[in-house]
Amino acid sequence: MTNDRPDMQQITEYLWEIPPTGKMRVPGRIYTTKRMLSKILADQSTRQVANVAELPGIVRASLAMPDIHWGYGFPIGGIAAFDVDEGVVSPGGVGYDINCGVRLMAAGITADELAGRLPLLVDRIFETVPCGVGAGSDLDLSPADLAGVARDGARWALARELAEPADLECTEENGCMPDADPEQVSREALDRGRKQMGTLGSGNHFLEIQRVAEIYDAEAAEVLGLFPGQVTVTIHCGSRGFGHQICSDYIPRMDGAARKHGIELPDRQLACAPVRSPEGQAYLGAMRCAVNYAFANRQVIAHRVRQAFAQVLGTSAGQIALRTIYEVAHNIAKYETHCIDGVDRKLCVHRKGATRAFAGSRAEVPEMYRRIGQPVLIPGDMGRYSYVLTGTQRAMDETFGSTCHGAGRAMSRHGARKAARGRDITAELKRKGILIRSAGRRTLEEEIPEAYKDVSCVVDACERAGISRNVAQLRPLACIKG
Amino acid sequence: MSAATKNNEEDRVGDVGWLERVEHTADEGVVVHAGGLRELFERAAWGMFACIADMERVRPHREVPVAVDAADREALLVQWLSELNRIHQTDGMLFCEFSVSELDDHRLRAAVRGEPMDPRRHDLFLEIKGVTYHGLAIEETSGGWTARILFDV
Repeated sequence: MTNDRPDMQQITEYLWEIPPTGKMRVPGRIYTTKRMLSKILADQSTRQVANVAELPGIVRASLAMPDIHWGYGFPIGGIAAFDVDEGVVSPGGVGYDINCGVRLMAAGITADELAGRLPLLVDRIFETVPCGVGAGSDLDLSPADLAGVARDGARWALARELAEPADLECTEENGCMPDADPEQVSREALDRGRKQMGTLGSGNHFLEIQRVAEIYDAEAAEVLGLFPGQVTVTIHCGSRGFGHQICSDYIPRMDGAARKHGIELPDRQLACAPVRSPEGQAYLGAMRCAVNYAFANRQVIAHRVRQAFAQVLGTSAGQIALRTIYEVAHNIAKYETHCIDGVDRKLCVHRKGATRAFAGSRAEVPEMYRRIGQPVLIPGDMGRYSYVLTGTQRAMDETFGSTCHGAGRAMSRHGARKAARGRDITAELKRKGILIRSAGRRTLEEEIPEAYKDVSCVVDACERAGISRNVAQLRPLACIKG
Repeated sequence: MSAATKNNEEDRVGDVGWLERVEHTADEGVVVHAGGLRELFERAAWGMFACIADMERVRPHREVPVAVDAADREALLVQWLSELNRIHQTDGMLFCEFSVSELDDHRLRAAVRGEPMDPRRHDLFLEIKGVTYHGLAIEETSGGWTARILFDV
């Protein structure tokens, strides 16, 4: 593995390029600001951008968003698109938490109207949504159920009255990625997924009740149905152990496949196989099962949040008015058609810690949002804010219709624990008006607000680069951490 | 590795001579030192579980056999730790004793001992999503062997 930092040159105010050298097939391109660049250069992430550029069939450039940070193999905040006939698919380009993503729902009430009932509401959600290390679900899925989840995603939840049709319309892939192949999923992955449906997990995953604090684009906010002071709910989690096991199963298989197909890897975690090879197709079939598991998982959690709203606030506030604004995936690989040098090409686009941000011209965007572009949901840390953005034509032209995915960590977990030592994080946040419920003290310490970069810098850099537009800022009222 | 060694107060991540924490912005990792390869694999497993839970409170009440095969020594280490993490997550087990009985570059056979997870008694720290190949290294040193492993958490 080469760890030296590659040379870079500034292209525009918000774009830096790593010119192709050595075995790089395309340049690396990093969207950021001069101020954020110094932090990016502190770790090995720019080398990782260059390493990805060495993979066969990569198209245009190995891309990174302003929230880029050092990952394993691929950088977090990276996008790589490969020609489906000449390129590769890599489990490392998706990550262990396949279809980690974000759901945003909006209530019909304001934070002021909610005020006194917030503690009760948070407690109710904390009771009904399992979270934290080792917390299992009360749903024990049969093998037939698991196969249904893997094939049908959120449609599985809809058939069980755990979803509304509008939820699926407002979810990337409509909550179900086609061509999922449960035959490619190991028994071990099925076992790991059995008792985790509807669970949040731990680490950076969270469930937050928020208020709309700022509106930057009034027209887009109106189309999305967002207004100042409105209560929103954000759910951030993924495919749980089911997806983690699928990634763990396929990396050694791809390691062998890379050798078999004569692919030279600068880092073993970049293990990959040609998209069209049996190994590549098997991985994609299994990965789509995990994508669907994650869609179903967030849907089941969303349903329970609605039930909690209904119990605490009455049916009208919960069941009817808690409407899905959109749901995005930020760890995924999918076939998409993009115009490259004037020619439409079918590509296998990997987004690892990056969000699809399609312009309204694309058929994949729900009809109701075509005027404004695809909604993009960017979670921040639990003490500051999250953002709602929309996709742009410039993103279609430059970044395969992609933008950032979050704040990105500024401290290691160990560093955050040291910074949190002797402090009462729950009390600190309560003084700022934010209620915290957490399954584990240690997670809370590792997730302190200052452990993350300021997400406003990330979304501003994306807006200035033209790859997404800021619509609204959401501030936390209460946060549930695993 | 004996149970007595592990029950010592200093046997916590960061406090034992043979186990170091890797500082990584997003993830968690360990560097393990050992006199021989079997011990290296045993200590790597202990180091992984020390990231997951407070090992002081895990008792070796139940034994589970583990068998893994892989293409080479590095892959074998990843597979061994991945398999233990899978059993931990699927069956809700925490392990504290690891005895590798057979080891070559492609094959490992072991018995591991631990107990079912009990959130009332066990202090759980984090969930490991995967054991990565990134920066993975097993090296022979003047004093024995060293391994560096990064976990996605």
